[in-house]
Amino acid sequence: MKNEKSWDWHSEKKEIPVKEWQNRFNWVEEHSVSPDGEKIASIVNTDEAEFSVCMNGNIWEETFEKAWCLRFLPDGRLCVLASNDEEWTVCVDGTFWETWFDYIWDLQFTPDGSFVAAAVQKDGQYGMSVNDKAWDSFYENISGAVLSSQGTSAAVVQVDPLGQADIEGFNKGIFAVALNGIAQPEKFMNIWDLAFDSKGEQIASSIRKNRLDYSISKNSRIWEKNFQFSWKPEFINKGASVIAPVRQGGKWLLFKDSVPFWDKSYEQLGKLAIHGDGQKIAAIVSNAYGKWTVSENDKIWDFHCDSMISELFYSDNGSLLIAIFKNQGYWDVAVNGKPWNIKADKLWNPVISSNNEILATRMEKDGTFFLVVNGKVYQEPFDMIFEPKISPNNDKILLKAMKDGIYLRQILSLEKVL
Amino acid sequence: MQESLTIDEKLEPDKKDVIDEGVEAGLSRLTPQKISQVINQVLTKETGPRFKAYVETCMRCGLCADACNIFLSNDRDPKFSPAAKVKQTILEMIKRKGKVSKQFLKDTVRIAHTECNACKRCSMYCPFGIDIAYMMLQVRRICHKLEITPLYIQDTVNSHSATMNQMWVKEDEWIDTLQWQEEDAREEFENLRIPLDKDGADIMYSVIAPEPKFQAGLIYQTAVIMHAAGLNWTMPSTPGWDNSNMAMYTGDFEISARIAQVHYETAAKLHVKKIVMGECGHAFRSVYDVGNRWVGWAMPPVDLVHAIDFYHDMLTSGKIRVKEKYKKTVTLHDPCNISRGRGLHNKARELVNILCESFIEMTPNREHNYCCGAGGGVINCGPPWKGTRMVNSREKKDQIERTGAEVLIAPCHNCHSGLEDIVEHYGVDMEIKFFGDIIYEVMEKTIYQEKK
Amino acid sequence: MHSFINFIMGPMVWISFLIFFIGVIFRLIGLFKQINAKENFVYTYLSFKYSFRSIFAWLIPFLPVSTRKSPVFYSISYVFHLLLFLIPIFLLSHVALLEESMHWSWVTLSDSTADSLTLIVIFSLIFFFIRRFVVPEVKFLTRLSDFLFILIVALPFVTGFLAYHQFFAYRWMVIVHVLSGELMIILIPFTRFFHMFLAPLTRAYTGSEFGNVRHAKDW
Ligand code: HEM
Ligand code: SF4
Ligand code: SF4
Ligand code: SF4
Repeated sequence: MKNEKSWDWHSEKKEIPVKEWQNRFNWVEEHSVSPDGEKIASIVNTDEAEFSVCMNGNIWEETFEKAWCLRFLPDGRLCVLASNDEEWTVCVDGTFWETWFDYIWDLQFTPDGSFVAAAVQKDGQYGMSVNDKAWDSFYENISGAVLSSQGTSAAVVQVDPLGQADIEGFNKGIFAVALNGIAQPEKFMNIWDLAFDSKGEQIASSIRKNRLDYSISKNSRIWEKNFQFSWKPEFINKGASVIAPVRQGGKWLLFKDSVPFWDKSYEQLGKLAIHGDGQKIAAIVSNAYGKWTVSENDKIWDFHCDSMISELFYSDNGSLLIAIFKNQGYWDVAVNGKPWNIKADKLWNPVISSNNEILATRMEKDGTFFLVVNGKVYQEPFDMIFEPKISPNNDKILLKAMKDGIYLRQILSLEKVL
Repeated sequence: MQESLTIDEKLEPDKKDVIDEGVEAGLSRLTPQKISQVINQVLTKETGPRFKAYVETCMRCGLCADACNIFLSNDRDPKFSPAAKVKQTILEMIKRKGKVSKQFLKDTVRIAHTECNACKRCSMYCPFGIDIAYMMLQVRRICHKLEITPLYIQDTVNSHSATMNQMWVKEDEWIDTLQWQEEDAREEFENLRIPLDKDGADIMYSVIAPEPKFQAGLIYQTAVIMHAAGLNWTMPSTPGWDNSNMAMYTGDFEISARIAQVHYETAAKLHVKKIVMGECGHAFRSVYDVGNRWVGWAMPPVDLVHAIDFYHDMLTSGKIRVKEKYKKTVTLHDPCNISRGRGLHNKARELVNILCESFIEMTPNREHNYCCGAGGGVINCGPPWKGTRMVNSREKKDQIERTGAEVLIAPCHNCHSGLEDIVEHYGVDMEIKFFGDIIYEVMEKTIYQEKK
Repeated sequence: MHSFINFIMGPMVWISFLIFFIGVIFRLIGLFKQINAKENFVYTYLSFKYSFRSIFAWLIPFLPVSTRKSPVFYSISYVFHLLLFLIPIFLLSHVALLEESMHWSWVTLSDSTADSLTLIVIFSLIFFFIRRFVVPEVKFLTRLSDFLFILIVALPFVTGFLAYHQFFAYRWMVIVHVLSGELMIILIPFTRFFHMFLAPLTRAYTGSEFGNVRHAKDW
């Protein structure tokens, strides 16, 4: 991000005491920290059934009857879902959206923070609202809402009513994909796993056509072939093609536009990771029951774990393929097939430096948080660590942590950490 | 009509034609080709050597009969023995190479869906350890593929598929319910919270959909327990909060897998150490050794702790303390899915002894306990089948009545509902409670402070 | 006639055992091939400890609750299965034949003991037979083949008994005895008698799922 250079990369340590908030308010909820680490905020209870947001010790003027889901946006604005007079809306930096709803949830935002979206309900009708602009049409129900990087929105919506225990009605197909609020005419029995293309114009999804036949749809056009099951599809080739893990003959395969794409078949083939427009494609796979590994362009890593691989993603330039996995009860990171062996109880996705060489993350071990950089555990213990950040010229790391009730914003030189 | 059924009317369920609209509509659509094609596909392609071994080893010795609560409830009518259920369904299908009539299929649905609780008790009585529950689930798989699954349980599976919870609870209704329970529970502790989506909490608490729908008070109680124990916990605001799974009982293994997958991915996203789940048996089974297996997770990828295990830990570690023991005489129903299914029966007894003054043992017990008659998706087949379910629960009714206890603890939602039906139907004078109800009643409502 | 008797008491015995062993190996290979192809997940849960825990528990008379529910049947069945192996292996005349042809020998049962044990087997089989008529849940499950199995097992014992006592047609009794014994051995791999080999496997799997995964007993 452009403005990262303007962040304070010099002050070694800044402190904000937060423990004393506990004395000022009836209770203080989970802390949220801004990307630049300068601000820490919480929802606080100020009076009976009265809430507000406390940021760096200063309390917002606005109060709420209820509030939840406090998040800093990537651009540093602070956002919360709030309610007054039994109506709900989004409140950004203390300013409410104009439209209020009966309920609001599933807060999402674009990577640059310029679009904020949520699922909303009014008078029992469901839709989404993006930057305070609600969809034109609302529906019986909504699920699986997604927001593209460009700010377009989509969700699975129920377009026809369904009576109690009406299995015949369900069989007819009552769900459709609504793109920017407009339900597409094709209705299906089930729709899951919505995925946008890189321009935010097209939608792919897993489809259940009838009791037994599953397929993949691209803009509600279904692939010719039916499958026994499928998981989330993804777009490649600038939105020209869709790839998806599908099950056929009891085995899992990767298909592209309804034809086999990879040669190998797998016991299981799950979440996909894509670099660029599909120059590199990787998937979480299992090639022996109960053992997990990664397949990159159909070549299997010389690695496996016994419990789970929860995340798989590429660095910007595609040189690093990072997996978060659990083996023998501990969480760990594997980069291009090589595990770090940090054995964490809890572990978050690493952030990646702009030169694609440094990975930094945080973990919890025996109740204590540690910073981990390129697999090396920085020995200073903390009560809590928020997502770190590596400086634009790759020599420093921004550590945001809690210790003894004090929020610490520290700049560490990477040399010292590594 | 079903309501007026009494104990003395010896109703023979197989002769009484229960009309289930879901089954009837499905049957009317079937063609002979479709029937044999589906049956043969499941019997030869989907099942493997295990199924074959069970078919080939059964010596028809009938020893499994005594295991089955439904056989016992029907005055030892031979048609209800576990092996007889296989004989009347699978063996016939094999013998006739899948060419079976619609009437046969109708009987098949009844047998597999409503006359077997998939409780696995018979596996403990068969000298070969043949798993009849597994066989009956394969039959249900055939029914699923023929689309002749009973109406109500199919509707539940439809709900699972569309909403990832079993009761059509909408996304906002779920969160709203939690917030409302949180507010109510502040009567007890003014700063009590149900933290939503708390990233990095130690515990994710998951429940089954009937809790937010009908029994939100149970969430309230849990919130009080969590709060008093001073735990770092959370509940997800997103789908994945429901750990139940009726799809595994209709043979819809694909939807069953998606449910388990969403549940564990939700826990992984929240970076929790473990999932604690409410008092439910079948839900435990679905995420412990059924749904997860289809996804390829040999064991739960995130530690899974059943409420009994959790309460046991809270009470033995002193995080929850008993103010005054529960006075009424209690007995305990061991839910199959967590006794035979997870060996939690001894911890359950220790728990009873910590909480209650007088405990009367039920016999048979522990791994050998009888199913409540509602399990295995039977109760979920709904009102059309309630009459036969009451007949099929007579052994259970006698068993609980023999204890003479005032209160029956049933740490499983399904059992709870099934036992409620029994008690009401037969007029047994017994109150049915969850462990959570009793803990909530007897606990010291102060917040545990860890000694540093 | 003499050469026929020599054949069935000589080479045919070896042929029967050969068919038996080849049959068993063939079937077991087929079984494991299928497991590997379709259900390889079973290996994840199979555990030596819990397989044997279950098998041993079920070998101890009256430990499993099931055996206590049907004590008469189980007692008879335990004894029957035991004698099914004991009698033919330790019968004096069998060992004598082996010694004659192969110079192998081992301890033997006295003729009178063997005689009464054979009667026990025969009575067990009669018990199984009658049980299939009188116990309703067993009757419901019974098919013609179940009687055939009992008959096939009964034949060598009954004829052996009759031959020993030389009540009548001694020579024919011996022929039928030898042939039916061989038939039984040959049939084991290809009929439900194969439960002899499947039983430990199904027990092991159930024992492992119960013990290893579900932390419960299965007896
Ligand atoms: C060591 C291997 C064997 C084991 C573990 C075994 C086990 C069993 C079991 C568990 C049963 C069912 C119930 C019972 O009677 O307890 C059974 C029944 C039976 N077995 Fe075996 N068996 C073995 C070998 C054999 C052999 C070699 C034969 C004959 C060739 C045989 C003949 C029978 C018969 C005829 C029955 C049926 C009894 C009835 O009709 O109720 N068994 N066996
Ligand atoms: S006890 Fe086992 S072998 Fe005997 S009839 Fe029942 S399933 Fe078959
Ligand atoms: S699984 Fe339970 S209900 Fe089903 S046949 Fe066996 S004992 Fe009966
Ligand atoms: S409902 Fe309860 S008793 Fe019945 S099968 Fe489930 S766990 Fe067992």
